[in-house]
Amino acid sequence: MNNVHLLQLATLAYSLAVACYLLQLFMPRGWLQKLAFALVLSGVLLQTGCLLWRWQLAGFLPVTNLFSTLFFFSWALAACYLYFELRYKIGASGLFVMFLNLLLLSAALRRDPALPQLIPALDTPFFSLHIVFSFLGYAFFAMAFSLGVLYLWQRFLPNSQLPELATIRKLNEESILLGFALFTLCLIVGGIWAHWAWGYYFSWNIKGVWSFLVWLFYAGMCHAKFVKRWQGTGYALLSIAGFGVVLFTYLGIGVLLDSNHPLE
Amino acid sequence: MLKRLWETCCSLKLAIYLASAATLLLMGGSLLIPFNAHVFGSMDRLALGTWLDQFAANSLEKTWWFYLAAVIMLLFGLNTLCCFIDWLVNIRARWRKSGEYLLHLGVILVLIAYTWGNIAGWRHNGLQCQIGGVTPLTKWPGHFIRVDNFEPVFTGQGPPQDMISDITILEGDRVLHQGRVQINQPFLDGGLVVTPVSFGRQPSGYRVRLADFRRVDFKTNTQIRLNHGGTLRVLRFLPDARRQANGEIFYRSNQLGNPAFELQYTHPNGDNWRGWHFLRQALPKELVGRGLRLRPEAPLFDSYSSLTINYDPGAPLAAVGSGLMTAGVLLALLSFYRKRQRQDRPEV
Ligand code: HEM
Repeated sequence: MNNVHLLQLATLAYSLAVACYLLQLFMPRGWLQKLAFALVLSGVLLQTGCLLWRWQLAGFLPVTNLFSTLFFFSWALAACYLYFELRYKIGASGLFVMFLNLLLLSAALRRDPALPQLIPALDTPFFSLHIVFSFLGYAFFAMAFSLGVLYLWQRFLPNSQLPELATIRKLNEESILLGFALFTLCLIVGGIWAHWAWGYYFSWNIKGVWSFLVWLFYAGMCHAKFVKRWQGTGYALLSIAGFGVVLFTYLGIGVLLDSNHPLE
Repeated sequence: MLKRLWETCCSLKLAIYLASAATLLLMGGSLLIPFNAHVFGSMDRLALGTWLDQFAANSLEKTWWFYLAAVIMLLFGLNTLCCFIDWLVNIRARWRKSGEYLLHLGVILVLIAYTWGNIAGWRHNGLQCQIGGVTPLTKWPGHFIRVDNFEPVFTGQGPPQDMISDITILEGDRVLHQGRVQINQPFLDGGLVVTPVSFGRQPSGYRVRLADFRRVDFKTNTQIRLNHGGTLRVLRFLPDARRQANGEIFYRSNQLGNPAFELQYTHPNGDNWRGWHFLRQALPKELVGRGLRLRPEAPLFDSYSSLTINYDPGAPLAAVGSGLMTAGVLLALLSFYRKRQRQDRPEV
């Protein structure tokens, strides 16, 4: 048994959870909901075990290549969903989040899981914190994206198993604020690290510019909720668009363009 | 009228318009960055003010968006400042929003710091500093950096795990700062930051054998007394030089290629000569005529530590701004949850 087996088991648990949530939408049963929650919880525990195992093997928090960041992103997303589920009992709303999580995991599992060598410039707690805050922030933005989709679904195809529109909106706002707070910390820690490693705190490479844009976009969203026209459906659409910006920053730039950011 | 103007300056809608405009411009403009390295490739190597002067201004068709985005960001900063002042004058009624407004103040300070640092600051990117030698900081006239000691740290094969330079910063002969520079442990003082980049060896001259069988290390500034009373001085050594058709000498690279010395011969009787000797060619006949023989034996190398030496006077202010932003964002979260607890958000 190696650490990737734990990840495969977690993927299985999440897939079964998605199936339960789907069934729950059309065939509401209390036990289905409990089973789905238990599956998500075991998925998170398996993934946490895998993360700790890899951390111990590497001797540093392994978040320095695409496999590791996809894995960490998916772990953060599952943990973020667990927080909302434990706090607000959002039940079948987990469908979209877990589905997204499965996409992240399947992208990770297709890549080489070998632990990379740590290059000296990345060997600092500031870099690890920068990545941790960044993916925790991304996870809340992904959660907001899922809630945005859920809002539109509930608005146009109402389902009694899904939370009310007002609740979804409230959760979405919380998600955006938490994501924004974490992403702000990510940029601050990243700026300190860059200043120490390169002698300047903001780099004009495309990844740097888009990270700033992600932050500016969500700062805008923290205000848009005060503007009548952007409340409700508008906010849901913004959450979806914002996640597009996040995905381009995280994956698109690496795939489409060259950038000197260490995570490509 | 004034009140209306102030309200516009504090308007949240204006903030959203400005932020959206800056976002769209930067989104589009940033896509030009990777495809136009000749314009944008130097953005990190220079302070932005210098880059605007030396590069952006010459390629306006590729950089106009940058100017526009910068103006919009500054207006956005002003807008945030107005919001902050508006809160400050009404603080009695709105103190509960302290977190949000600390965050706003932090953003304003970072924007000011960034602008200031990029106008008044300078950057020496990957400056090759000879170990034991003194290297002038051309962008900080009258100042020099000396690398007193250098040690790379290797653990097995592969790239070095660390590059340790002990440095001294001098103003003329006066020591201003002394410190150590390592990977992720820069030398910091106010806005001054020194970080390691790489290290290597550079050809610095040749060991030559003279007619009297003496062996001498010929480097810039080497001076030898010749037996018949004359003096030969090395004015310059170029590891790879080329002579143009018009006789001018060009520096080609710092790799050994076509090495050349600029030499000066002087004699107390007033017999002087100055010229170039390309080591791949015979000694100039003027020197042969003065009884000189030179046989190059082996190249000499100097080790150097390549350092980035930047000055950003805004950096300490940016650090204060970031501190305020961190405190602000944490307080804003706290107050968000307190409001939620008190059901203080009627719109939700
Ligand atoms: C990049 C710049 C900015 C950032 C990062 C930022 C961030 C934030 C955040 C995180 C909040 C808290 C939202 C919440 O309570 O959920 C907030 C609230 C607010 N911001 Fe900004 N903001 C910025 C610029 C501005 C500007 C330019 C204005 C003024 C036009 C403004 C006016 C406000 C107002 C009025 C609130 C509401 C406070 C309340 O009543 O709860 N902000 N801002």
